[in-house]
Amino acid sequence: MFGIVTENDTLNMLAAEYVLGTLDADDRADIARRRLQEPDLDALILAWEARLAPLSEEALPVSPRPELRTGIEQRIDALEAEAARQQTEHSPIHCSTQPRQPELHPPPDSQIEALRRRLARWQWSTGLACAAALVLAVILASPLGNAPSDPSFVAVFQKDDRQPAFMLSVDLSNRQLHVRPVSAEPVAGKSYQLWIKDDALGPTPRSLGVLNDDLSLDTRTMSEYDPALLKRATFGISIEPSGGSPTGQPTGPAIHGVLYPTGQPEGQHL
Amino acid sequence: MPNASRPSSTPTVEPSTSASSAGIAHICDLLDRVAKKDRQAFACLYDATSAKLYGTVLRILQDRGSADDVLQEAYVKIWQQAAVFDTTRASPITWMVAIARHLAIDELRRQPRGVRESEDVLEHAPDEGLSAQEVLHQEQNARRLHQCLNTLEENRQDMIRLAYLEGWSRADLATHFDQPVNTVKTWLHRALKQLKGCLAS
Repeated sequence: MFGIVTENDTLNMLAAEYVLGTLDADDRADIARRRLQEPDLDALILAWEARLAPLSEEALPVSPRPELRTGIEQRIDALEAEAARQQTEHSPIHCSTQPRQPELHPPPDSQIEALRRRLARWQWSTGLACAAALVLAVILASPLGNAPSDPSFVAVFQKDDRQPAFMLSVDLSNRQLHVRPVSAEPVAGKSYQLWIKDDALGPTPRSLGVLNDDLSLDTRTMSEYDPALLKRATFGISIEPSGGSPTGQPTGPAIHGVLYPTGQPEGQHL
Repeated sequence: MPNASRPSSTPTVEPSTSASSAGIAHICDLLDRVAKKDRQAFACLYDATSAKLYGTVLRILQDRGSADDVLQEAYVKIWQQAAVFDTTRASPITWMVAIARHLAIDELRRQPRGVRESEDVLEHAPDEGLSAQEVLHQEQNARRLHQCLNTLEENRQDMIRLAYLEGWSRADLATHFDQPVNTVKTWLHRALKQLKGCLAS
C-alpha cells in the first residue's frame, strides 16, 4: 500500500523521533507517559533505542568528578530510608483486638536497614568497591559488662541475600572472635579470609586471618584491638586465592552481607 | 557541512570491555544484583558505566553543572528501575544510555542553549575518540548502522547525528538547515524509515 500513511507508521515515527531526541518538550512528556500505558509504543521505542544505540559510541567517555558518586549515594540513602519508613508506617495492622505486646526490641528490620546503610557507606568510602568484593558485617555493639554468657554481638554473613553463609561472634569481655560457617562451603583452590576495618586502623581493611579448609577459624584473641574499636569496627569475609590474599588487601568475589542483631538492642549504637 | 563526524571506513580492532559480550554479561549480572538492592553491585555498575553515560550527557548538555545533575538523576533512576529492566528486551548498556540520554534531552528542552554551531560540535566527535566508535565497528550492529547511515544523503546523516548526539530538536535543525520545521520533520522521517529498511534488509 505504497504512499498510505498508516496509524502504525505514525506511531513508529513518533517512537523514532522520541529516541532520536528531536521532539519538543510537550511531545516528549506525552510519549514518556504514553509508553507506560501502551506496550506497542514501548516496544517500538525499544526497537529504535537498539537500532540507534551504536551512535552513542561516538560520544567520548568522560569520567565524572568523584564527588558525584557521593551525591548519588546520598540520594539513594535518602530514598531507601524513606522507603523503609513508609514500609514501617504501612505495615499490616494485626486484626486482633487484643492489645499488642509492648515491643521489647526495636524492629529488627529497621536495624538491618540502618546497618545496610552503614555497610553501603563502608563499601563506597573504601574505594575498594569493585576490586574487593567483600562479605561485610557491621558489628552490633552491646554494652560492656553484659553477663559473660551473653554473646557480645553476632553478625551473619549472607550469600545472595538468602542463605546465611557465616556467623561471626565476638566476645568483648575476653576479645575472642569466633567464625562459624552456616551454609558456606569450602571452595576448591580458594580460601575465605576475615577482615576488620575501622578508621582508626587506616583507610584499608586489615586481615584477621585466613579460615581453615574446614571453614573454621582458630580462636583469635584480639588483644591488640580495644573493645571500643571492636564495637564500631566493620568485619568482612572475602574469597581469596588459596592461602589468602596475595596483595594483603581483599581481592575476591562478592558474597553479600546482611546482618542479624542479637543481644540487648537497647545498648546498641548504630 | 563538515565531514569530520563520518566514521572511518577502516576500523581498528581493539579490545573493549564495554563492547565485549563478557562485558555485557558482567553488566547484566551487576544489574541483576542492583535489582536486589545490592549497593556494592551498584558501585561496580557505576564504575563500569559512568564515564560512558557522563560522556553522553555532557555531549548533549555541553555544561558540566547540568551534566552532573543529570548523571545523578540517571543513576538514581537506574537504581530504582533495575528491578523492572528486562534483559530479554534490551541490552543493559542501551537501557542505561537511554535513561541518561532522555534525561539530558529533557533537561536541554527545559534550558535550551543559545545558537548552535554544528561545525563546532560535530568536529570533536571522531578525532580524539580514535577507538570509542571504531572499536564497535567490529560489532555487527554498529557496522550495519554505519553502513546504513552512509546510504543517507550527507545532510540527513548530519541531522541524525546532531539530534542523537547533541540533542538538537526539529526547531534547532530547521534553523541550522534553513528549512521550515515541517520540511525537517519530513526529512527526518524519510531518513529514519530508510535507516530502518536498510537495517532490516
